[in-house]
Amino acid sequence: MENNTTPTVQDVESRRLTKQDLWKIYINSQALACGFNYLKQEAPGFTMSMIPVIEKCYTTEEEKIEAYRRHTELFLTEARLSHIPIGIAAAMEERYALEGDIDPASINEVKTALMGPLAAIGDSLYHGTWRPILAGIAISLVIASNYTSIVGPLMFLILMAVSGQLLRHWGVFSGYKNGAKLVAQLQGSDIMQNFSQLTAIAAFTVLGGFASRFVSVNTPISYKAGETVVSLQSILDGLVPGLLALLFTGLVYWLIDKKKVSPNWLILAIMLFGIVGVWLKFLS
Amino acid sequence: MDNLLLKAILVALVTWIVFADKYLTQFFTYRPIVLGPIIGLVMGNLRVGLEVGVMIELMFLGQVFVGTALPPEETFSTIIATGLAVVAGGSTEVAVATALPVAMLGLFAMQLRNMVLCVWTQRRLEAAVEKHNLASMKWNALVMPNVFNLFLFAIPAFLAIYFGAGAVQSIIDKIPPVIMQGLNVGGKMIGAVGLALLLKSISSKALWPFFFIGFVMAAYLKVNIIGITIMAVVFVALYYYLFVKKNAAENA
Repeated sequence: MENNTTPTVQDVESRRLTKQDLWKIYINSQALACGFNYLKQEAPGFTMSMIPVIEKCYTTEEEKIEAYRRHTELFLTEARLSHIPIGIAAAMEERYALEGDIDPASINEVKTALMGPLAAIGDSLYHGTWRPILAGIAISLVIASNYTSIVGPLMFLILMAVSGQLLRHWGVFSGYKNGAKLVAQLQGSDIMQNFSQLTAIAAFTVLGGFASRFVSVNTPISYKAGETVVSLQSILDGLVPGLLALLFTGLVYWLIDKKKVSPNWLILAIMLFGIVGVWLKFLS
Repeated sequence: MDNLLLKAILVALVTWIVFADKYLTQFFTYRPIVLGPIIGLVMGNLRVGLEVGVMIELMFLGQVFVGTALPPEETFSTIIATGLAVVAGGSTEVAVATALPVAMLGLFAMQLRNMVLCVWTQRRLEAAVEKHNLASMKWNALVMPNVFNLFLFAIPAFLAIYFGAGAVQSIIDKIPPVIMQGLNVGGKMIGAVGLALLLKSISSKALWPFFFIGFVMAAYLKVNIIGITIMAVVFVALYYYLFVKKNAAENA
């Protein structure tokens, strides 16, 4: 800043990110998972997201290359909440380029620090609760229509698409605006702990319903009591409706959770069990 | 079997689009419950599409992406299983039998993509960064992965539908009815795996009462899934106001 090419205030301000630039980041960030690989995970997508920032904020080729290098480093978290670090990184790159009063290494430190917690909350909330519940509702609507109506799948698609995009948009804009403050809020309080507890309650309640509705085990076994034929199925269902399905789900859970049986083997085994069951006439 | 060529091309096109969605916009067109009916419509049998979509969605309901371990590929599985079920004259048993093997094949293709092909484009991206070559950066981070999807998923889908149709038909004719019936029975039980995986991923002893409340509501009271979801939200609200908020107030 000592020579006569010192940038004027106007020059610096013209390089500041505008709302339009944030929209560009949001659009570019759709590529987050596109180049996913086992070497650097979501790094290509993160680099894509930073193009509007780096091209606008930095002036020299060397600065731009150095900034891009940062973002080709490993990055991996849930593909919607990842947009919070994208917004934060945009704010930090801008700050380093314009004011220069932060350590550039801290940009990747912040990204890395956020990866774990955001993946944990995103996976359990979005993929462990929200998606399965919506899918369950869609399935129940399809079954209720006797496999003729697409209302359920359509509802699932719209809600998933809109909620996912809203989260991405919010992540970029809020991450940029609130930056470090947002991180402190998320990490400092019990929010994470409480949040996962609350969503787990919702998930378990609904899964109990799924166990009754979406798993069915029927047996044709019957015996003669005097003159009348008594079916085992109707006796069991009189006790607890869908008892066989509930016990079966419990067995599968026990095998996966306690016996560490691979789910793929289980799927195969269940199909064989179905065939043997029909053959030996204890399943129908 | 009219216009099989056209249908197979359309299926390939849909495959390519939903895989682009899977890696870009993530509108979830690639989940079985949505994709089943789409492929069903393309192939001309919506009903089978819905049946297969429900079956495979339940199978992979508990599929949560944990770190870098990839689950079986549900998208490719749904496309092939639905397509073949329709060409086999609407036999969902075909879908039950093909869903898992195809999902494993899809997983293999995915491993190839993530371990070899996209590692290669990652290297090329890093080289492009060193030269500040924006066009090459976008090419390797955005375009190439979609080209990989074309060869790994869309073209195989075309081949499977176009050439698999005849083979599936002749195999079906030879399979004894007891096996077809057994597959049907097994298909109705497979949902337990998806459920169990989901339960395991969030399991904690304190939560089991909620599971049984949900079960009792569905089994005895015949409340439908939407009603149970509403009750789930009510439980969350109760828990929040009775415990979380109260504790926060006491600690403050």
